[in-house]
Amino acid sequence: MDATQLLKGVLDVAVLAVVEDEDGYGYDVVRRLRAAGLEDVGEASVYGTLRRLYTAGALTSYVVPSEEGPHRKYYGINAQGRATLELQRKVWAEFSTTMNQLLEAA
Amino acid sequence: MSTSTVAPEIVAFARDVREALADLPADEVDDLTEGLEADLAESLAEDLRRTLPDPVAYAAELRAAAGLPTRAPSRGLWGGLADAWRDDVARTKEAITRSPALASALAFFVPLRPVWWIARAWVAIWISAAAYGDEQGFAFEPVWIVPLLGAIVVSVQWGRGLWQFPRLRGLLVVGNILAGVAFLPVTLSAYGNVDDDYVRAEYVDEGSYDVDGLAMSGEPVTNIYAYDAAGNPLTGVQLFDIEGKPLVPNRDVDTTSIQQTPATLETGAKVFNVYPLALTQMIWDEFGELVPDPDVDPAKLAAYANGPFLRVPAVQAPAAVQPTEPVAPLNE
Repeated sequence: MDATQLLKGVLDVAVLAVVEDEDGYGYDVVRRLRAAGLEDVGEASVYGTLRRLYTAGALTSYVVPSEEGPHRKYYGINAQGRATLELQRKVWAEFSTTMNQLLEAA
Repeated sequence: MSTSTVAPEIVAFARDVREALADLPADEVDDLTEGLEADLAESLAEDLRRTLPDPVAYAAELRAAAGLPTRAPSRGLWGGLADAWRDDVARTKEAITRSPALASALAFFVPLRPVWWIARAWVAIWISAAAYGDEQGFAFEPVWIVPLLGAIVVSVQWGRGLWQFPRLRGLLVVGNILAGVAFLPVTLSAYGNVDDDYVRAEYVDEGSYDVDGLAMSGEPVTNIYAYDAAGNPLTGVQLFDIEGKPLVPNRDVDTTSIQQTPATLETGAKVFNVYPLALTQMIWDEFGELVPDPDVDPAKLAAYANGPFLRVPAVQAPAAVQPTEPVAPLNE
């Protein structure tokens, strides 16, 4: 099974989770996800997910000027984002428990 | 950040990504790609050695991350062809970026793209003008100047990705290819037109060169024999045209086998417009060189010197120079 296929369904919640504690800019979020073990996560997916979550109202965004490069667009979680994250945590917990039971029983 | 600080390759990349998403509704594309340029600039700045990824793959990843289906395949024959073309272009681009030689060749041609933007506008208008027979060498009748300027503006703006025509995209791509195919024939054709004019102009112009000199009904004139009003031969007659250019004979000795000896003016200049000129009959010797004919008929030399006639009929009293206003008789 291809992990990148599985990742598609959970990228939203993964991104919300890594910005929950600390705001991050696009590439920073990519790095955090990879450091957390999602090595195959694509940059376009992450940037796209950040933009979509922002458009959907789950993230706030602000620009931090940078001296040596382009300005960085930071994303932070807001109340709606936290609510979404909590909901999806529960969905994921139930789903993964179900899947684990199914796979262990087999 | 303003778009003006974004590198052109990022702008082009973002445009390609949007093109690869063009089958989606416009607001969906906006959601997926809003701020794409800034994000790309940021991620590139994170790792300086990195090159931009394949835009089609990048677009596919955006699409997948958003939970959207891959590009709808059932787009009919033309849509399918367009997709296949896009895929081929994407694969070719990727192959090019992997080969250093091709990549550096591409890097050389990329800055020349604006030249093509103008050239294709010219090709389009030239062909249109030619359809009406209005082309003139590389240019055309003045009425086509305004369409040309319009075409250049549209072409350049399209090339820069500033003006997009989503509905006309297929048409524009085909037009672009046709312009590329037509460029060489059109250029040759235009050059051919110019060449004709050039040759014609040169032919007229060459009247001033010694080599061609005077001709009558296409035949070279090697000498001129002038006679005065009384019909007697003249010597040392200097002839000029209306612009003051000396009227020189045809001195193509290869064709005429006659060589003229120039006259000398009081200034010391040797000139060929003083008639009749002294002539020498030339002949090809055994070494293939033109030399004076040693066995020339003396009568021929005499005819060359004296002209075709010893005397010609006198000119009648000049009736033509009478004043147009009658002169009043003195005794009135």
